Amino acid sequence: MTATPGGGPPDTGARVAAVPIAGRVAGRAWWRAATARRLAFGYTLLAPAVLYVGLLVGAPFLFSLYLAVSDANVGDPVASFVGLENFRAAWESPTFHIAWQNSLIFTVVAFVLKGLLGTTLAFLLLQSFRGKKLVRGLVVIPFTLPIAISVLGWKWMYDSQFSLINWALRGVGLIGAYGTEGWPVWLGQPHLALFAVISVNVWRSFPFSAIVLLAGYTSIPPEVLDSAKVDGATFLQRFRHVVVPMILPILLVGLLFDTVFTLSDLSVVYLLTNGGPDNATQILPTLAYQIGIQAGALGRGAAISLFLFPLLLPAMILLLRNLRRREW
Amino acid sequence: MVSAQCPQSRRAKEVRRYGLIYAGLTPFIVIAVFPVYWMAVTALKQESDLYRMDVIPFWFYLPPTLKHFKYLFEHTWYAAWIVNTMSVSALVAVLTLLTAIPAGYALARLRLPGAENLGIAIFMTYLVPPIILFLPLSRVVSELGLQDRWWALVLIYPTFTIPFCTWLLMGFFKTVPMEIEEAARVDGCGQLGALVRVVLPVSLPGMLTAVIFSFTLSMQDFLYALAFVSISDQKPVPVGVATELIRGDVFFWGSLMAGALLVGIPVAILYNFFLDRFITGITGAAVK
Repeated sequence: MTATPGGGPPDTGARVAAVPIAGRVAGRAWWRAATARRLAFGYTLLAPAVLYVGLLVGAPFLFSLYLAVSDANVGDPVASFVGLENFRAAWESPTFHIAWQNSLIFTVVAFVLKGLLGTTLAFLLLQSFRGKKLVRGLVVIPFTLPIAISVLGWKWMYDSQFSLINWALRGVGLIGAYGTEGWPVWLGQPHLALFAVISVNVWRSFPFSAIVLLAGYTSIPPEVLDSAKVDGATFLQRFRHVVVPMILPILLVGLLFDTVFTLSDLSVVYLLTNGGPDNATQILPTLAYQIGIQAGALGRGAAISLFLFPLLLPAMILLLRNLRRREW
Repeated sequence: MVSAQCPQSRRAKEVRRYGLIYAGLTPFIVIAVFPVYWMAVTALKQESDLYRMDVIPFWFYLPPTLKHFKYLFEHTWYAAWIVNTMSVSALVAVLTLLTAIPAGYALARLRLPGAENLGIAIFMTYLVPPIILFLPLSRVVSELGLQDRWWALVLIYPTFTIPFCTWLLMGFFKTVPMEIEEAARVDGCGQLGALVRVVLPVSLPGMLTAVIFSFTLSMQDFLYALAFVSISDQKPVPVGVATELIRGDVFFWGSLMAGALLVGIPVAILYNFFLDRFITGITGAAVK
């Protein structure tokens, strides 16, 4: 360090300091401009998707709320406000009660059966054996086949006269001959029909439950299980304190997804029984369709479909909480 | 003797384990596959062979025939339904890519304030079931004059493909290393240039997945097509088969099964290959 003449140091100091400050200010301005550009670019990219979904999901959802409190129908475009009349009328109709009850029974029974079958299948698929890929590919067929298409196959198997199921049952002597009391008409007898439609839903979704469970299980790092083992945790302890908490989030999402699908699916019941016999298999979606589209009472139909919402809402809230915990 | 017995008993144990696994899996495979097999056999049986309860129905009593397939193409709108389905799916895929790629990229990469919530909100719309939306949407469709035309489905199907594919692509773009994009920027690409020239080419698998899902998800729909399209030659395959081949109490079982499987099988195979992507897509939320 050499000594500098009198006026030197502050001068140089000022100059030395001035450059970075100017640079910093310019940098900050540049940074701010870049940020603004990035944001503008980002929101422009987002806009089409957000607009599409907003206009065709968000707005219709609000519109369905509006329809539900109006007397709108297909023939008469001018609707007037009727308050909760549609909900009251729906609530007081016996058909609605059947549909509401069936929707609940349907979802709960199907849920239990799918859970049992799915867990068993997942457990089997966890084992290592030859031909696993092929087996997996085969058992997921019910889920990958479009539902409206496989339901047609089931309709044929449930045929009132040429049912293959009845042929097999008759063969082993479990049921009576065609035309007698002992011959089950799957889609024509109330309890059987409900059982038949639930079975198809279970058939369609049990592979999904199994695959979701598998996805959950394989997401657990083996080291975690090993170290728990080393630490002396018993099988049950490992299951309760390691496996369950780690699988749970995935399981929850899968279950919610399936519940939403089961509650709101129209095609199985519509194609198999169309709600019959005598409304025995009526569920909320089929009723909403019959009243809203076939009878043209948009307001009443919208009100009925909105009754699904309180059933769906807990599922959605749980899912939302789950998504928020995700690490980004 | 002891040393000879040990491996033997181990092998016996192994054989028993395999036996148990396969024995456990067999009922599942039978339950899953049998209805499809039965549909296929029905589609190939002669009419009089379909309605015999005195012989074992699982196999052909009379020689198999393609008559039902021929009937589909000669006496129904089946060919038109296939064209409709393909056109709808293709256009939906294009619309979906055009909106979901930019949105997924923006949410994944541009550190937008509120991106997280926006992403979740878009995904949540995927879970709003059609049964709640179809009545208001039927109004939208008729206001736009699209009633009874397959164009209505082109407009409506993106309401579920865009949320799903945005979510899927967002996850995908996150796995593309930031460095290659930065390198492109250093080399003088603009933001858009970097996206188009560098990020998109390496994201082709993700985009392909999005196309597949636009296609398979469109094929899974029944309600919208049923509610919005009621003219015979405008229907997509699932609704066409289910509504036109059942007339009152008369069922054309042979051609019904033929028409259902002809599109069902390819979709099922395609979906089968991408099933894991679908599961990660919806549960991806729960896995880090």
